[in-house]
Amino acid sequence: MKKTFPLKFEDHFSFSEEVLRKILDSALSRGGDFSEVFLEYKIYNLINMEEDIIKETAESISLGLGIRVISGEQTGYGYSNDLSLDKIKKAALTAASIASASHTRKTSFLTPAHFNHNYYPVLEPLHQEPLEKKISLVKKSYHSALNSDPKIMKVKVTLLDQTQYLRIVNSEGLNITDVRPLVKLVCLAVAEKENKREAGYSGGGGRIGLEYFTRELTPEEIGQDAAKEALLLLEAELPPAGEMPVVLAPGHSGVLIHEAVGHLLEADFNRKKTSIFWNKMGKKVANSQVSIYDDPTIPHSRGSYNIDDEGTIPKKTLLINQGKLTGLLQDRLSAKLMKKSLTGHGRRQDYTCIPIPRMSNTYVDKGEYAPEEIIKSVKKGFYAQKYQGGQVEDSGKFTFSVSSGNLIEDGKLTAPVKQATLIGSNIDILNKIEMIGSDLEFGLQTGTCGKEGQSMPVSDGCPTLKITRMTVGGQS
Amino acid sequence: MTEKNNQVNLTALAEDLVNFGKMNGADEIEVTFLDGYEFSVDVRFGKIENLVEAGSRALGMRVIRDKKTAFVSSSDLSRETLEHLVNNAIKRAALANPDEFSGLPSLSPKKVDVSPLRLFDPDIPNLNSEKKIALATEAEKIALEDKRITNSHGASFETKEIKTVLANSNGFLQEYDQSVCGLSLGLQAGDTDNKVEDYWFSMKRHYKELEPPEEIARKAVKRTIRQLKPRKIKTQKVPVIFEPMMTSWLMGFLFSCVSGISIYQKTSFLVDKLGERIGNTSLNVIDDGLLPGMLGSRPFDAEGVPCTKTPVIVNGILKNYLCNTYAARKLDLKSTGNSTGVGVNPNNFYLEAGEVSPDKIISSLEKGLILIRTLGHGLNPVTGDISRGAFGLWVEKGEIAYPVSEITISGNLGEILNQIEMIGNDLDFQSPISGPTIKIQELTVAGM
Repeated sequence: MKKTFPLKFEDHFSFSEEVLRKILDSALSRGGDFSEVFLEYKIYNLINMEEDIIKETAESISLGLGIRVISGEQTGYGYSNDLSLDKIKKAALTAASIASASHTRKTSFLTPAHFNHNYYPVLEPLHQEPLEKKISLVKKSYHSALNSDPKIMKVKVTLLDQTQYLRIVNSEGLNITDVRPLVKLVCLAVAEKENKREAGYSGGGGRIGLEYFTRELTPEEIGQDAAKEALLLLEAELPPAGEMPVVLAPGHSGVLIHEAVGHLLEADFNRKKTSIFWNKMGKKVANSQVSIYDDPTIPHSRGSYNIDDEGTIPKKTLLINQGKLTGLLQDRLSAKLMKKSLTGHGRRQDYTCIPIPRMSNTYVDKGEYAPEEIIKSVKKGFYAQKYQGGQVEDSGKFTFSVSSGNLIEDGKLTAPVKQATLIGSNIDILNKIEMIGSDLEFGLQTGTCGKEGQSMPVSDGCPTLKITRMTVGGQS
Repeated sequence: MTEKNNQVNLTALAEDLVNFGKMNGADEIEVTFLDGYEFSVDVRFGKIENLVEAGSRALGMRVIRDKKTAFVSSSDLSRETLEHLVNNAIKRAALANPDEFSGLPSLSPKKVDVSPLRLFDPDIPNLNSEKKIALATEAEKIALEDKRITNSHGASFETKEIKTVLANSNGFLQEYDQSVCGLSLGLQAGDTDNKVEDYWFSMKRHYKELEPPEEIARKAVKRTIRQLKPRKIKTQKVPVIFEPMMTSWLMGFLFSCVSGISIYQKTSFLVDKLGERIGNTSLNVIDDGLLPGMLGSRPFDAEGVPCTKTPVIVNGILKNYLCNTYAARKLDLKSTGNSTGVGVNPNNFYLEAGEVSPDKIISSLEKGLILIRTLGHGLNPVTGDISRGAFGLWVEKGEIAYPVSEITISGNLGEILNQIEMIGNDLDFQSPISGPTIKIQELTVAGM
């Protein structure tokens, strides 16, 4: 029979419930507390425009399944993109190899689970939208960046979209599915003046349909924003060096919270006592104005999901409440070993990966100060606006790279500044958050977070924040 | 042809798809198959944490019609899906714009003999799981005997075996096998509120060349405890010594600036600098895909261009950009065999070793910093600007005085290349991008 493409999810994984139960049981054939099958089918498209032409398009299909067995603190994992039963059985036995118990469990009846929410309804599934329509978005963004100033001499625009179908069944009887859209449109613009070159970057997207680009953020705005940053950087000075008051702009600065706080509140690092936070639950770790959430349920946000990659319904999680440490981001393994409730933060890059605790949309809750009031309070300092990213280690030492910002002099934003690095220790900085703005915003919906080799879409946000003192790494 | 992937000969399938593409309207078509097997085990406090084992196959494809390009990749290798993807790529190509620089490389008369490259170790498939688990367990156990170590991120052992098959419509059809094995260990020292951490690893194509567990443990412990009780320092300009891993990081940044793609896209500070002096005369940087047994070696790149040895910087003069076929055509140069498909990647890209021992370099330093780790991003290829969080060892009168943390280093790659005063003799090819210990005249170190 001739099938029509792209194939439906069910056509790829036409396993009966009985077969799935057999796979789960065979994974538990050497003992173990828990087995799970993660089935995934992902369709992915890319369009790339530079030098005034659509250079290439790409289409990608990822299809496969991963089988996991948990036995105490141990995890066995096998995966396959060959869906023949003998290969699947081999993956199941690989996963089983970490267990060695005499008694084995049997999987209870698989009950299809339903949930009543959808955080990412779209008008049309992304892989069914015509390529022509996507190309026209790319062109609009490209030309608006290029035409915004004669000094813009180079633009690159990329559109990435994917639709991920997944089904998770486990030995506790769970049988659940989700379909997740994900899009990002990003623009890089290079400006040139007197042999000096600078690059600006912008983008948008989320778990959305293409209607987002007419309703929420147009491709033209993305192009102009990238051009604007490149032009600004042409005039920018090198940053100052040393300790000084730092004000973080709303939105993009959420990356600081992601790095400095979020990672170290992932449950695995606390269960293993490698995180500086592991012995501080209930204790004051931040200025009492500071409350931090991780919320996977924000509609259409890049980090959101209806179910996590272990099939758990996610919850908005309060990590720090008025300065006190109150919550961790849990996956199944850590929650069980720590005897805590699930929060729905078990995520995995794809079927080849073991799920681990991850952030989704992380943000600092808004405070009471007007943003102008915060800037006005600084005599001499640094205003951090856009970022390249950051990194943290378990000791709480973190850094993040500021691509553009401003000097603050006598309570006013003055000269633009480029390429600075901020560095600090997380609890120290959390306690030095002196003022919090009323202007909570989220950063670009284009962020990707890496942990243990797995990349996940995330977003983060924050209002204007003032940090009493922080080390700024610059040259002057 | 049978539908069962495990019985499909990938070489025959690659040829078959090339023919299918040509018959259905592709002017040019390139098909790559990767057939991989991976094993990894993480051990922490003597117990297995994770064990992963799997085989998988993947397809990559490029289709060109009327000088318009479409790419494809898939982990679904069913005949039905593959034919659909080829046909769809031919359709999608029509929506791209013609690009006179696009297209496959012409068939090279040169063919690199695979066996002298020593890319595959037949011992690796024969290592049993118990042995692999024991190696990781052993490395961690030795490290934990040192009472200054207070926590462990665990030790990992991994192996990979990969077959690469490449066929294209210009008549290229070759394949090669490669293997990799690696042992790594991450540690913490100090109490919860004064933690320091570091790791060490060894990764080789041949099991016999891997550093033994004792060596991994010794180095990981040494690297971790030397950071205990760090101090902050005042912002200042001082000479900075880069350890080999830090030189590798700097070479990685240099690679992105000599990549033919950043050159034609004008996103590198080294645009239009070919033939010019960009560093001091002791500076030699090479890309070599043919070093026997090294991690970055391969007989041909992702487009089937034979790999070779390319001098990049010779006595401080920029000699070559590293190109795939597309970037080479854009720049009117020749491909250097560095293609990843759309992009370029290094083969073995390294700073040539000098003659001084690392100890001598340190004892030559009156006052300054040894850079041991960096954290974060902060590299701008357009300008060469560098700004990173850093950890180091403070040196006074030629001796290590104390560790420092919460500092940043900043400078500019263009300036650094002219300020490399000493080059060590300790080049180790630990990763595809590598370099020995070096001493830089002056960088800004920001602290208090």
